[in-house]
Amino acid sequence: MKRRDFLKWTASSSVGLALPGGLATLGRMAEAARGPDLVVAKGASTPQAVRAALDALGGMKRFIARGDVVVLKPNIGWDRTPQYAATTNPDVVGALAKLCFEAGAKKVRIFDNTVSDARRCYKQSGIADAAAAAGAEAVYMDSRKYRDVRLNGTVLKSWPLYSEIFEADKIINVPIAKTHSLSVLTLAMKNWMGVMGGVRFRIHQRIDESLVDLCRVIKPTLTVLDAVRILTANGPTGGDLDDVKRLDTVVVGTDQVAIDSFGATLFGMKGSDLGSVKLAARAGLGVMDLTKLQIKRISV
Amino acid sequence: MSELTLTRARRISQGLFLALFLFLFIQTESKGTDELGWPVKIFLDFDPLIVLTTFLASHTVEGLFWLSLILAGLTVLLGRFFCGWVCPLGTLNNLAGSLRKKRPKPPGPGWFRLKYYVLVFVLASSLFGVQLAGVLDPLSLTIRSFSLAIYPALSYAATSLFDGIYRLNLPLVTPASEAVYDVLKKTLLPFQQPWFAQGTFIGLLFLAVLGLNLVQRRFWCRFICPLGALLGLLSRHSILRRSVSEDCDSCGACVAACQADAVPAGKEKWRASECLVCNNCDDVCPKNAVSFGLLKGRPTGGLDLGRRNVVASFLSGAFAVPLLRISPLARPRMSDAKLIRPPGALEEKKFLQSCVRCGECMKVCITGGLQPTLLEAGLEGLWTPVLVPRIGFCEFRCTLCGQVCPTGAIKRLPLEEKQEVRLGHAAIDKGRCLPFAHATPCIVCEETCPTPKKAIWLEEVTVRDREGKTVRLQQPHVDLSMCIGCGACEKHCPVVGQPAIYVTSAGESRSEEHQILLRAT
Repeated sequence: MKRRDFLKWTASSSVGLALPGGLATLGRMAEAARGPDLVVAKGASTPQAVRAALDALGGMKRFIARGDVVVLKPNIGWDRTPQYAATTNPDVVGALAKLCFEAGAKKVRIFDNTVSDARRCYKQSGIADAAAAAGAEAVYMDSRKYRDVRLNGTVLKSWPLYSEIFEADKIINVPIAKTHSLSVLTLAMKNWMGVMGGVRFRIHQRIDESLVDLCRVIKPTLTVLDAVRILTANGPTGGDLDDVKRLDTVVVGTDQVAIDSFGATLFGMKGSDLGSVKLAARAGLGVMDLTKLQIKRISV
Repeated sequence: MSELTLTRARRISQGLFLALFLFLFIQTESKGTDELGWPVKIFLDFDPLIVLTTFLASHTVEGLFWLSLILAGLTVLLGRFFCGWVCPLGTLNNLAGSLRKKRPKPPGPGWFRLKYYVLVFVLASSLFGVQLAGVLDPLSLTIRSFSLAIYPALSYAATSLFDGIYRLNLPLVTPASEAVYDVLKKTLLPFQQPWFAQGTFIGLLFLAVLGLNLVQRRFWCRFICPLGALLGLLSRHSILRRSVSEDCDSCGACVAACQADAVPAGKEKWRASECLVCNNCDDVCPKNAVSFGLLKGRPTGGLDLGRRNVVASFLSGAFAVPLLRISPLARPRMSDAKLIRPPGALEEKKFLQSCVRCGECMKVCITGGLQPTLLEAGLEGLWTPVLVPRIGFCEFRCTLCGQVCPTGAIKRLPLEEKQEVRLGHAAIDKGRCLPFAHATPCIVCEETCPTPKKAIWLEEVTVRDREGKTVRLQQPHVDLSMCIGCGACEKHCPVVGQPAIYVTSAGESRSEEHQILLRAT
């Protein structure tokens, strides 16, 4: 992130506070009416950061209705423990599940089509235990539940996708921020590879277009980017603590393109450095230009 | 204790041990951690044939070898109670035999000696360094057959049934069957369908063993089982003896009821080495003339096997060694390139001397990549484990195969050490690899490479496609100094069929000769 951008965000988010009396209330009301597009919450306590971020976005009740079946889709792709930042932080997942239940969700289901053995991934990532502690279900993908879905994309015309994400009332994308040799980074859009069936590694031949095609049909209610720890090299598998950077940050929003564009800044890049973000913005799936977004930064 | 309750006690014991055996079998599966939580190989630890032959062949014993001494000691005192009361294969043979109501006539008086010749053969070959016991050891045989054939087939049947009902999507029926399926998946069924090369063949052999019970009840135990023979030799002077009172009128009921060939002529001629202590003779005796007791009756001893036959068996077993070793695979610096052994496997010769082909490692392998060999390791290595990465790769943070190996053929390594073990090296087939051959981007091998610093690295290149258009892409290369040959790249290579990156055993750390790189040692 550039210094100037940072100053701009800080300025915009503190405008309300700087304004005197009545104007400040008006400003706050205006902000509440639209609400921030992205909330970037930083804090040593991950569950508190997640909660604060959601509160700043209007509270989980804004997204989850009573009786909802909610799917959380973290990245559980690899057999690694949380400190290696190859899988979504279990505290983020656990905190989200709790917030969903508080908002009245009936069921919270958590799954990912893993690359390493699913049993090991679920257990070693800490997500199985975090889910259990929150009363959510970390379920293994059922090979019978993939359905061919029409994507009508530029590359993917149809592909077998996990039907539960279309059956659920709400889906929340919970990626972790990591490097990736082909897509440069793996953030929110790339995380949807985890609901693909078939020979999904084939999409690497045209990864950016394929990810955009996926995002034409997969519309999460909410996206929560886990940047508690980010993996800066040897991704997406990791395995070396020297490649892990601790940011204690979560980024929350409803526009996954915007989230990815912001995610790039965590690695000292711009959204336009990511082909998938550029294409997705061009296809009208979200906003790449961070200056057009209201980004609220909070510390807890 | 009345006679009837002794038989019932035996049946209960058989049922409990079979249940324990099956329970431990089902527990031989990862639950996501690197521990299984149960002593899943304990039956094999108690097996004196495995311990003895492994010791003769490789001059090593595993940490739990003393358990087999307990079984040997108890057999010296109490006879072949293991066969009659404990052995899961024996129990399955009992069950299969009961499928035919009429007891078939014994094939001939001397057939029971056959298993002693089998034993002598196996001991002789192991003495000269070839471990063949595992092929016929009843515990190895049963675990292997269940792991590679029976359980996968049952799983396939169950899954097909439940999938069929799922697809029909019937009201009430489908939700109910799904609920049952869910419970079964959490308890009896495997996490994922196991697929094994030779599964059909190994399954047929096992069904043949069970089918032989229709020719003669407990055919296997009477005539073939080398463990039964070893226990028979140990039990010749047991203090548990059978005695027959004056009331015996030689009606022959006990001869027909005997589960083995222990009572040839009814009365005093009792073969302790053949008796499975099943108590059938006592049960069926109309005069109630038979009883078992400690030190009651005459010690029997004596087992005339015929010196010439024993010598012939011994020589055959000994000659099997050179006959098996003239395969070119046994030459120095020779190995099948596809013979990728599990992590921690001993150097090939030692490995073959220790592996008892029980199939535990294949059962527990988390990706299902460990498969039984046919001739990749020569006939000497039949049914030993080989990693077939296209089926399943070696999971970087898993050490389960070393944990379940009963003989140490696969060493039990701490995780950090296991991650250093090279199973071989990956090589790229540039004629098939998309970035090399087809100007098409793909980095899947690099992406899935699990070493902390990736052993596969990418070179940024500009290539031209057919139209002469330049394409920027990354071409993968294998860094041999880091590649551990786990096969994750081969497994995930999107070039279906013959993969564009594949592992061979060249470079495996267990062999000093089988190296590519000059390594500082």
